[in-house]
Amino acid sequence: MRIGLTGFSALIAVVAVFWMAAIPASQGQAPAGARQAPAVARQTPAAPRQAPAAGRTEDGKPNLNGIWQAFGTANWDIEAHHADAGPHNEIMGAWGAEPAGMGIVEGGTIPYKPEALKKKQDNFKNRMLVKVTNDPHRFDTGDPELQCFRPGVPRANYMPFPFQIFQNRDQILMVYEYKGSMRTIFMDKHQDAPVDSWMGWSNGRWEGDTLVIDVTGFNGHTWFDRAGNFASDSLHVVERWTPKGADHLMYEATIEDPTVYTRPWKISFPIYRRLEPNVQLLEFNCVPFVEEMMYAPIGLYNPPNRSAR
Amino acid sequence: MRNRMLRISSVLILMTVVAASMAVLAAQTPSGSKAQTPSGKKALPKTTTDTDAAIKAAAEEFKKANSLKTYTAAKTPWGDPDLRGVWNTATYTRLQRPDELGNKAFYTEEEAIAEYKKAAESDAEVDPRTVHYDWKEYAMDAWQGGTRPNLRTSLIVDPESGRLPSLVPEAQQRRAAAAAAARQRDPMLGIKTFGNLYTRCVLGLGALPLVRGGMPGADSAATAAGVTAEAFFFQSPGYLTIVMQSNNDVRIIPTDNRPHVPSQVRQWLGDSSGHWEGNTLVVESTNFNSKEPATNFLGSTDQLKIVERFTRIGPNTMRYEYTVSDPKTWTRPWSVDTTMPRVDPSLIYEFACHEQNYGLINVVTGTQIRDREGTRDLRGNGAPE
Repeated sequence: MRIGLTGFSALIAVVAVFWMAAIPASQGQAPAGARQAPAVARQTPAAPRQAPAAGRTEDGKPNLNGIWQAFGTANWDIEAHHADAGPHNEIMGAWGAEPAGMGIVEGGTIPYKPEALKKKQDNFKNRMLVKVTNDPHRFDTGDPELQCFRPGVPRANYMPFPFQIFQNRDQILMVYEYKGSMRTIFMDKHQDAPVDSWMGWSNGRWEGDTLVIDVTGFNGHTWFDRAGNFASDSLHVVERWTPKGADHLMYEATIEDPTVYTRPWKISFPIYRRLEPNVQLLEFNCVPFVEEMMYAPIGLYNPPNRSAR
Repeated sequence: MRNRMLRISSVLILMTVVAASMAVLAAQTPSGSKAQTPSGKKALPKTTTDTDAAIKAAAEEFKKANSLKTYTAAKTPWGDPDLRGVWNTATYTRLQRPDELGNKAFYTEEEAIAEYKKAAESDAEVDPRTVHYDWKEYAMDAWQGGTRPNLRTSLIVDPESGRLPSLVPEAQQRRAAAAAAARQRDPMLGIKTFGNLYTRCVLGLGALPLVRGGMPGADSAATAAGVTAEAFFFQSPGYLTIVMQSNNDVRIIPTDNRPHVPSQVRQWLGDSSGHWEGNTLVVESTNFNSKEPATNFLGSTDQLKIVERFTRIGPNTMRYEYTVSDPKTWTRPWSVDTTMPRVDPSLIYEFACHEQNYGLINVVTGTQIRDREGTRDLRGNGAPE
C-alpha cells in the first residue's frame, strides 16, 4: 500500500486527536509501563526535549511499549470447552485440571477439512506423547508447549505468561516470558520470510491506530493450544492490534491455511497491560524442566555411576 | 562495517543442525560448495572468502577506529545515546595474557595486525584429521564476520598482569570436588550434566558478559562462539534489549536504574539494571543462579556481580568494559576493556536450538557406546564450563 506521505500524516493526526481523547489523563507523560526510579538516582539529567503526547510515541503512533498479558483459557483450547480433569489427575489433582472457557474463535468452530479434523483429534489423544528422535519425526508427537518448543503465532499472545513490547519507529520487538521466545516486527523493510521458523516472519504496518502484522514463513510444527488445534507450514496469520485505551487493546487475527481449513477464520480477545508497579519479565527458561521427560526414556538423562559397575 | 548476509545464511543452516553436534554437521555439508549464498545469486564480499582481503579490511577498520578522537554520539529520537545495531562479540584476543608476554599490555599497531593475521590464518586452517566441519565454508570463522585486531594483549586490563586473580580457598575446593565427582559419574555420559549449558541449549554463548575472548579454533565452544557472536541491540524508550544470535538469549535492560528483583529470584542471566552516565550505559547484573555445582560464568557462584559499560565511540565501534566480582570465587574483582565492531544488517534470526537438538542425542549416545567399549578418550572431564 502506498499513499502520499502528507496524506498519511494527516490521517494519523486526525486519528490521533480522537484516540488521545480516549486516553485517561492519569497516563501522564511518563513512558508507558516505566517504573519510578529509586531514591538514589545516579542518572544524569536528560537533555530537555519535547515529550510525546500521552499514549503516543515520538512519531505519533500508539505507544504499545510495556508488559501485556491476555487472560483466558485459550491456551487449553481456543474453541469453547468445559472444565475437565487434566492428564495424570491421579497425582496432579486440581493443579493439573483444565479450566473452562468460551473460546476465542469467531463463529465458535474452526472450519477444518475432514482429514484435518481427524488429525486434530489424534493430536489431542497424543498430546502428551513425547518421543525424542534425532530426526524431524520428533515433531510428529505431542504438544510443542509440553516440550518447551517455541509457541508460534498467534499462540504466544494468549499463553498464561506476560510478554513485553519494545517499540521504535523502524522495528517492534516482542519478547514472551514463556521460553524467552521473541519476534521482530519489521515496520521499515518488508521482505519475504528467508526461511521457515517457529515464530514466523513478521512484516508490520500501521493502519490508522491499528498495528497490522502479516506473519508467514511458519515451519508447520506449532499448535494453537493443548487441545491439538493446528496448522501446516502454509499458515498465514494477519494480526490486528488495536488500542482501546491506555491499558488494554483488542487483538484480532485472521488465520488462513488452505491445506487445513475450508476457509479463513478469525480469533479475537482483549490483551491487558500489566499494571503492578514492580512488574518485570522474568526468566522461564524451560529447557531444564523438560530434559528428564524427554531424554530419560532413551537412557540419556543421568550419567551412569562408574563406581556401581 | 561488514556485510553480514553470508553469515546470516550460515546461521540459518545452523538452526537446522545445532552446533553441539559436529557429527551431524558433517553430514549436512553440501558437497563441493565453496562459501556461497543459498540462492547462489549474490556475489560474495571478498572479505568472507579471502583471508588477505579480510585481514586488510579489519586492519583498516581498526586504524580508523583508533584515530577517532572526537566522535559525537548519535541520539535516538527520544534523546538517549544511540547504541542500536548488531555488534560482533568475537575476538581473537585472549581473556588472559599469555605468560610469555609478561607485563606487555599493548602491542604496537604492526604487532597487533601481525597477531590478527596469525590467528585468522590458523582459524582458516583445517586439520583433516580432527575437523568434522569446515567453519569457513559457511563464513563462520571470526575473520569472516568483521572481528578486528586489538592493541591489547589480553582482554583483562585489571589486574595489571592481564590474568585472572587467584581463587579463594572455597573456590579451589569446589573445583576439586567437581573433578572428583566427574571421575565417579562422568558428566559426558548423561544429558543433564553433559558438556555445558550450551550443548543442552539452556544458554547460548556469551550473553553476559558479551565478549569473553579466546582463540576460536582452540576448542569447540570457542569455535562456536565465533560463528554466532552477534548481539542485536534493540533500543526503545527506557530500555536496551539485547537479543543474542546464539540461542536467541534475550537480556532486557531497563535504563531507569531500578532496584534489582528480590534476592530469592535467581536467573541464568541474572537481573540487569542500567543507568546512563553521560554517553555511557552502565549496567549492573546480580541475582545469578545459585545451583550446585556452580553454573555461572567461569564457575562463579550466586554472589557473582557483573558491571558493564557500553559506550559508542564511533559509528561502527562500541567500547565494552566490564568488571566481574564474586567474593566466593576470586580474591579480588577483575576488569575487561575491549571493543565490538558493528555489522550489517541490523537484525537477528530465529535460533531454535532446543527444538532440534539432534546433536545432543547423537553425541551422548555415541559417547556412551564408546565408554562401554572402553575406547573412549577421557580428556573431556573437567569443571563445568
